[in-house]
Amino acid sequence: MPLRPLRIVSILACAAVLGLCWNGLSGRGFALTQNAYLQEGDVEVGAPEARTRLDQGALFLDARPIAFYEMSHIPGALPLPEDDFDRSFAKIEPRLRSSFDIVVYCSGFGCEASHLVARKLRERGIPAIVLAEGWPAWTDAGYPVKEGPRP
Amino acid sequence: MRWLRHPAFYWLVSIGLGAVFVYASFAKIAHPQDFVRIVYRYRLAGPTAGLGVVPANVLAVVLPWIEGVTGVLLITGLWRREAAALAGGMLVTFLAAVSYVLWQGIDVAHCGCFTVGGEGRGAGWALIASDLALLGAALYVVVVRPPEAAPVSASDPLPAGR
Repeated sequence: MPLRPLRIVSILACAAVLGLCWNGLSGRGFALTQNAYLQEGDVEVGAPEARTRLDQGALFLDARPIAFYEMSHIPGALPLPEDDFDRSFAKIEPRLRSSFDIVVYCSGFGCEASHLVARKLRERGIPAIVLAEGWPAWTDAGYPVKEGPRP
Repeated sequence: MRWLRHPAFYWLVSIGLGAVFVYASFAKIAHPQDFVRIVYRYRLAGPTAGLGVVPANVLAVVLPWIEGVTGVLLITGLWRREAAALAGGMLVTFLAAVSYVLWQGIDVAHCGCFTVGGEGRGAGWALIASDLALLGAALYVVVVRPPEAAPVSASDPLPAGR
């Protein structure tokens, strides 16, 4: 007997309804139209707004692993990799505490490091915002980058 | 190779495959906010500038339930071959996703196969091998069918002595 495609469609439809209902009613779900990395208190800005802040003297922090920073980074950015946060934070803490406008970025789309770093900074009393979609948004906009290990 | 068509073996494979899918769905259904982060790391359904976040979010919400429902059907035997075909389709998709991240050098850290938190299994060749084995089981359930009891025709003569 051949397979019945209508049954397969029915299974998919049933699963979709169950999944969407569970997401909406279980209390464990999340907003389908919002980036799941965003939590209460997180603030994101787009690349054009970030560029304006850079021109006005904002401090940029690179939350990617240090190897990525050493390949290239936003001009003037300091490395604060999420996977080595405590040690890197200790090195630049005075600079962070004297900055009033801090923007954190990471590798964009599948990367949560910038949100995590911004949250850790806020927990230490240092306000920081996140560059939405991170490094790819910056480079796709054609904004300047600096190659090499030093800011 | 007659054992391949033995009903007991067929049911064992079907129920085993179903159990794997049901088990795989538990953690993802219980912790959707952790699972969606894993979906993001694959970078296949988004979020990207073009796709936005909705496709990845919907996938993270619906996929565990497709796994769960498919697994239950394989265990119970209801629409078993269609459920096995769906399981095969999912496994082909998983294989494509793992191959993609290996090819691109993307470190997803956690494959999101059976758990979604803590130290997880990465996406590597061992995962491809286990997915291929499960795909073989799914194809077996779809293609091979155990012989059923021969239907008794109304015109068949009654056995002697009755």
